[in-house]
Amino acid sequence: MKKIYYGVLFCLAAISLNSCQLDNYDGPQETLIGTVVDVVTGNPVLTDQATEGIRIRMNELSWTGTAVASDFDFYCMKEGNFQNTKVFKGHYNVRIDGAFIPLVRRNQAGDTIADESKYIDIKGVTKVEYKVQPFLNVEWVGTPVVSNGVITATVKITRGVTPADFKAKIEPMGGYDDNMLNITDVRLFVSQVPYVGFRAWDNRYSTELDYSGNTFEPQLGVPFTITTKGVIPAGYTVFIRAAARINYATENIKRHNYNVAVRVDVPAK
Amino acid sequence: MKLKYILFAILAFSGGLFSCSDYLNIPPVNVVQDKDLFTNTNGMTVYLSLMYSQMPFEDFKYSPSRQFFDDWLVTPGANEGASLGRDAGAAMTSEGYSRNGAYWGRAFNLLRDANRLLETLPSYKANFSEADYNHYIGEGYFARAMVFYALAKRYGGIPLVTSVLKYPDKPAAELEVARSTEEESWNQVLADYNSAIANLSVTSPKRGYANKSVALAFKSEAMLFAGSVAKYNKITGFGRKTKVRVIGFDPNTAAATSIRYFKEAYSASREIMTSGKYSLYKKKWSANDKQAQYQNMVDMFGDITSPENIYIKEYSYPDLAHGYDAYNIPRQLMGSNGYSAGNCPTLDFVELFDGFAKNADGTIKVFDANGKYLMFDNVTDIFANAEPRLRAYVILPGDVFKGEVIDIRRGIYTGDASNGIAPLRVLSGGSPDYTISGPSNYNQVDAYKATGAFAGNKSLFLDQSGTTHETVTLPDGSKMNAGGKSGPFTSDQTGAMTGFVVRKWFDPNMSQSLVLEAHSVEPFVLMRYGEILLNAAEAAYELSLAGEAAPSGENYQDIAYNAIKDIRERAGADPLVSAADLTGNEGLQIIRKERKKELAFEYKTLWDIRRWRTQHSDILNGSTQADGAYYKGLYPFYSSTTGKYFFDAGLDEARKSFRLTEQEYYLAIPGDEVSKSTLIDQQPGR
Repeated sequence: MKKIYYGVLFCLAAISLNSCQLDNYDGPQETLIGTVVDVVTGNPVLTDQATEGIRIRMNELSWTGTAVASDFDFYCMKEGNFQNTKVFKGHYNVRIDGAFIPLVRRNQAGDTIADESKYIDIKGVTKVEYKVQPFLNVEWVGTPVVSNGVITATVKITRGVTPADFKAKIEPMGGYDDNMLNITDVRLFVSQVPYVGFRAWDNRYSTELDYSGNTFEPQLGVPFTITTKGVIPAGYTVFIRAAARINYATENIKRHNYNVAVRVDVPAK
Repeated sequence: MKLKYILFAILAFSGGLFSCSDYLNIPPVNVVQDKDLFTNTNGMTVYLSLMYSQMPFEDFKYSPSRQFFDDWLVTPGANEGASLGRDAGAAMTSEGYSRNGAYWGRAFNLLRDANRLLETLPSYKANFSEADYNHYIGEGYFARAMVFYALAKRYGGIPLVTSVLKYPDKPAAELEVARSTEEESWNQVLADYNSAIANLSVTSPKRGYANKSVALAFKSEAMLFAGSVAKYNKITGFGRKTKVRVIGFDPNTAAATSIRYFKEAYSASREIMTSGKYSLYKKKWSANDKQAQYQNMVDMFGDITSPENIYIKEYSYPDLAHGYDAYNIPRQLMGSNGYSAGNCPTLDFVELFDGFAKNADGTIKVFDANGKYLMFDNVTDIFANAEPRLRAYVILPGDVFKGEVIDIRRGIYTGDASNGIAPLRVLSGGSPDYTISGPSNYNQVDAYKATGAFAGNKSLFLDQSGTTHETVTLPDGSKMNAGGKSGPFTSDQTGAMTGFVVRKWFDPNMSQSLVLEAHSVEPFVLMRYGEILLNAAEAAYELSLAGEAAPSGENYQDIAYNAIKDIRERAGADPLVSAADLTGNEGLQIIRKERKKELAFEYKTLWDIRRWRTQHSDILNGSTQADGAYYKGLYPFYSSTTGKYFFDAGLDEARKSFRLTEQEYYLAIPGDEVSKSTLIDQQPGR
């Protein structure tokens, strides 16, 4: 009887050990580092930091063993660079979408007209640079000044892509309209964190200027002032940046182009 | 020992012999078979119960965040702009974000049951009378139409599964169905409602079953949705796996498609109107009698014999009850579960109604010409002549409910009022600020903190919660709590956080001890004649805007005008003067506004503002939902030196922020469904 008992015990142990196989696949250890720069000026393309900013979408092409989750998305940092340190070694398609001429362009029938996304092997530390055509360039002119809790800044907005070039690239995608080039709004975002942008703004102080039709057109290239709303209490430190967008959505989101965030200290009383 | 082996061998051998017998090869007797269900009416009752228990009805067991079949914190109105609540904030605008996830998997369960009925029942046709058989087939199409409609309005193009997928007979990979275009999906919704209409009985054979009019009514609603999306939607795109236009319509044909759907909505609504089966509920209504008109509209939602009801969902205690009363009851009447006032109407909603003084921009008038508060002898005076429909939907400060005066008061102002009272929302001696930059609650203002103009002279007293009170000694020596018994309070949102509490759907006779979760049994009106009138009006008006000719003998303008006239008359609202009031885009806005007023808290308005594509772009108190928008409240104060009341109107104190970006009109397909399938496409751009 005891023999049978040990026999059964041995069998059970053998079965349970069998299921204890080690997962011997290495964790993701490769790194992808990227920058997004303006093809003309070579300057980084500044952006918002989440859904409305530059989205990086990775799809692993080399893995065929099992079904692989598609569309691994993450978002660019506000300075126009990104980094992912947990990538499996392999061959990838990496596309980015933001407030610039889409790199992957498809027509109404869904056929690819142009594909400037990257097909790369990621191994060790892999660096990529995307040269894009931002819709707009937003720049500070001079230094923002603060007086009685109101910040006044001067901003200049220019096109990063000529209307003719925009049309040449966007029209084949279908549904083109000259109104897509119109600047719909200019904003001065204010936030108490440096990551100021469309998802981090204090709506008590941030300003939004809306433009209908092509009414902004004469102001292109002309420095103009924009002031914050309300009164920022004395002693506060805020971060501000200006943003503008055109009436065109990439990946169904109308995204802003930004300038660099600057710190403004509202003097204590 | 040897004997044992022999015995084992015999046993094993004989076991093998038995399994070779054919007569044991029968279906398991403990599983219900087709022949049990599809051969008699009792079996069909069981089968239909199975389908109805999964039907995607937006009722007292629905909320946008938790979707269907979940009755916790049910607060209809909270995402459509009609109300705010403690638990209904920004996060609640996300569909299916919590607990049950998005409505996807459950849809396909019911779809399979409906397809199974449609495929199997024809083989058993001989067992039923022709009328019964046709009705059951109609029920199959009705269930399928309801599922496709619920999916299409959330996702656009959907996988049109119109047959039973046989697994494991075929490998799973072969059974996958890709998303169709949005247009094909709406065409399928239309086709299935039409089949349901053709087959269903004229009256429901059993209480709770569908009938021809029910299918017509939902068809009218669905086609109005499809027509509006075809007309107003601006985003479109193709699936990456299939290259199918899974959201939006082809811009070249969208206008014609929209007209086609509006015509379907119009004809379905008209068929119900001309059938004479239904009418607006006017049992207690009487012309020029506001009290009667008010009582009429209070009664209509609980009266299951109402001639206005086309389709209702009934409940019973204890098997199938809900908790609407418990979650939304005014604070002073709350039951022992501790829930209350989950659904407080916004001032923005109240301002849609007639019967009180307004400024030129349509906002409520609370200041006189000198910028001082208007003073009222009683808290009820400001709404004394309000539209009866407003009072039937919303408990206003000082209104009577269940025999009790509902005590809604934000605080007591003890300062001097001899030269009038200046606006309260002032910070450190500045000027009044009612924008988002201003004080967010009354705890911060000068009168409360004794700063600025009130330095050394605290003049405002507030209740911080429903249990901690500040008290004020009145000039006559009596003591009074600063806040009302039903709020609003500063730091707990169990009171009337906007200054109002909902009244619609409450059971006025339920005793306080029974106001508990899972104890309410009022029916939910899923479809009523009032909506059909509004559907007809909107479809007719859209068609006349598109320059379409009406069917002979009918005039789109008159149909729209008469529908609005009838709805307003029953509601006791200001009447339209003539059909000429409805012209151009303003005419459309009049029709839409009437709809927002009439159908509030019925899970209709949220879909309306989505199909009009105005949810992200309408300006609400200076912002759009695309940027994050806020609603307003109306806060009553008592002036102790004068014994009068005044009202402060402004952004809600809790600053509940609502946000929706344009691409979110199409909800994301659940990620795991996309990644595990070779065919199911995510929304383009996501």
